[in-house]
Amino acid sequence: MDTSGNFSQALATFAEEARELIAQMEEILLRAEEGGCRDDDLHALFRCAHTLKGSGGLFGLDEVVRFTHVVENVLDRLRKGEIGFTSDLITVLLESQDQIDAIVHASLDGGVGAEAVQRSDALIDRLGAWVPHAHEDDDEAAAQVPAEQTEAVSASGGGEIGSEHWHISLRFSSDILADGMDPLSFIHYLSNYGEIVHVETVADHLPDLDAADPEACYLGFEVALRSDADKHEIEGVFDFIAERATIRIFPPHGKMEEFIRHIESAPLGGQRLGEILIACGTLTAKELETALNAQQAAEESRRIGHILVENQSVHPAVVEAAATRQRLHEEKRAGEAKSIKVPSDRLDALINRVGELVIAGSGTYAQASRAGLPELHESASLLLSLVEDIRDMTLSLRMVPIGEVFSRFPRVVRDVSRELGKDIELVITGADAELDKSMVEKLGDPLMHLIRNSMDHGIGSAEERVAVGKPAHGTVGLNAYHESGTIVVEVTDDGKGLDPAKILARAIDKGLVDAGAGLSEQEIFRLILEPGFSTAERITNLSGRGVGMDVVRANVEAMRGTLDIQSTLGRGTTMRLCLPLTLAIIDGFHVGVGAAHFIVPLDMVVECVELPEGIDSVDYMELRDEAMPFVRLREVFGETGAPQVRPRVVVTRFGGRRVGLVVDRIHGKCQTVIKPLGPLFGNVPCVSGSTILGSGEVALIIDVARLVHDVAGREQQHSRKGGPVAAALAPAAA
Amino acid sequence: MSKTILIVDDSASLRQVVNLTLTGAGYTVIEACDGREALAKADGQKIHLIISDVNMPNMDGLSFLREVKKKPAYKFTPVIMLTTEAAEDKKKAGQEGGAKAWIVKPFQPAQMLAAVAKLVM
Repeated sequence: MDTSGNFSQALATFAEEARELIAQMEEILLRAEEGGCRDDDLHALFRCAHTLKGSGGLFGLDEVVRFTHVVENVLDRLRKGEIGFTSDLITVLLESQDQIDAIVHASLDGGVGAEAVQRSDALIDRLGAWVPHAHEDDDEAAAQVPAEQTEAVSASGGGEIGSEHWHISLRFSSDILADGMDPLSFIHYLSNYGEIVHVETVADHLPDLDAADPEACYLGFEVALRSDADKHEIEGVFDFIAERATIRIFPPHGKMEEFIRHIESAPLGGQRLGEILIACGTLTAKELETALNAQQAAEESRRIGHILVENQSVHPAVVEAAATRQRLHEEKRAGEAKSIKVPSDRLDALINRVGELVIAGSGTYAQASRAGLPELHESASLLLSLVEDIRDMTLSLRMVPIGEVFSRFPRVVRDVSRELGKDIELVITGADAELDKSMVEKLGDPLMHLIRNSMDHGIGSAEERVAVGKPAHGTVGLNAYHESGTIVVEVTDDGKGLDPAKILARAIDKGLVDAGAGLSEQEIFRLILEPGFSTAERITNLSGRGVGMDVVRANVEAMRGTLDIQSTLGRGTTMRLCLPLTLAIIDGFHVGVGAAHFIVPLDMVVECVELPEGIDSVDYMELRDEAMPFVRLREVFGETGAPQVRPRVVVTRFGGRRVGLVVDRIHGKCQTVIKPLGPLFGNVPCVSGSTILGSGEVALIIDVARLVHDVAGREQQHSRKGGPVAAALAPAAA
Repeated sequence: MSKTILIVDDSASLRQVVNLTLTGAGYTVIEACDGREALAKADGQKIHLIISDVNMPNMDGLSFLREVKKKPAYKFTPVIMLTTEAAEDKKKAGQEGGAKAWIVKPFQPAQMLAAVAKLVM
């Protein structure tokens, strides 16, 4: 059977499942640390490890099984109340959870390295403080016992019999059928180990049919099996019924003494059993005679009774408890059923198609408008508005609460505050604000950096804080809310605040600005976002990891978002990220240059003006008493089509500054479904994607930030002072 | 005729692998993520074997076992419990409830097939 594809699918399911379980563990552990851990949390926590181990084992991820086994033992003791949470335990468990995460991924990616195994060992040692080692080996020890017992039996003496096949004697407890065990299927399974030579049914216990319970098993079997299997394997066949049946297994050329005992113990009388054994070919008549003689000689008849398992009786209290629990679960389930899980690639494909539909819809609408048929126009218009509704609904499918990103930060804040030796509390608000899943994924890193930055640089030590009359423990806030079609994420701290004088001095020192530049406070704050700026006097291993605020800014701008800084010295700082809700569809501003079409993201467009005449030689113009630099798209993209007599300027706002884009034509606002560029065009500068217009033509989406940077860079190469665009970007020269 | 097996486990990946293994061996498989779903899905149809985890959210394996054994249709249906807990009290409770076969997690697919073959012809 070809199941390798399915198997890797199952492996993908496991990876996803593991991720969720690990996240759930973390959430519970963090709750435990705050003392908010409920009883069912402990069970859930145990279940996480249990499931990870069980599924990991199924996939043969041995290291995952080995390690989670120990974690599971600790969690089991926690759940049973044998040990309680301590700060140390939570720390070890959190680290263990990280380790599980690491080895699960390593296992899935090809293998766990020796280093990871060492880390597991170290953690197992530490976990050992909460779980006695003896406990660990219980299972294996228990499993060994039966094997030893059987050895002892076969070692007892007596003469050999001649038969070359195994003889198996089966007597079942009468309720075995009610347990779901069908004796026939076990006998059938025996044939996996060899050839069943003979089966003799022992029906001697069958009562009168009137008195017989149809659900009870009255039959016994004597089976002759020709097989190369060993005794252990044959015993294994019956391990599920071992407790409810008397199973005796005699090897080929078995010891006569054992048969004698078997015959002695037979409740139906030695003579009858003996006949059966002959029928099976296990004993010859002569051997039987010997055996019967021996039986008579025996003074005492040792009877081995059947071990009967008690009837299944359920205590009324247990039933009631189960019913109550069931009701609770019903209520819980009603809540769960409100959502379903869908693979994200299917959703992406749907959104893609809906994007095409919107484009086709507006194309049809445009055609219908031109056709001059009122009925056609009306139905095309209705169709378009329905399609747009569907687009909105489809996009909302991919909306997830931002809490998905936020949830990882309590842990980060906890770990970092320990590392820094500061007492810092994280306050999360607005975790239910929704945004596109693709944004959620990209938001994690910038937020991580901002939070670490706040904790490291923003919030001072407890002594410093107390000295200025603040509470000793600092607070970092994470807040999200919607504001006019965008989502705003704020990282606040009640720390020292930014010191404009210090920032300016440093920027001058670093050569980022001229000493004489008259910058506003806002502009000074923005300096910390410049590459090569770092106010920390010492590089800590947290925020000073070589990733500066400039990277944060670049990440945010890549998401077409903005980063604002507000700060009051001595009071604290607020970093405000303003992001679009989705990356799939934007409101675009459609412009034309020569024969080409371009889209500028509408949220960057401030206004449109005409290009004043007679300024062909310069790259800036006056706009309401301020100089505004501009970029001629015609030159940037090498358009050669006939120029417009009176070009227009689209004024864009970017990074708190205005930059004009000179275009030939302005077509106006349009819904833009973003299509990524193919790999061939991936590195084309100044273009972030493409879209298809209602007319079917392709338009490129302009990456305004890149465009302006590029043009400024080019200017700086040409002249030392830099051209107007460079000047607009570098506050030093403003 | 293909035999039908109901697998009850909260781990989707485990269900998937068990399903693949059993389907590959010619069985028909019904999946359920917990006891409640299992009861709902089983509802009256012929099931030759039930494989159930013990530790599950919502309705755990032992409660499920008690409930399913109350139904006449499944009174004689064999049940394999999947467990990492060799703990005697759990096992005893399971046996009283009607589970006589146990597989200790983690297990290999082949082990499961062997156990299934013993109980279902």
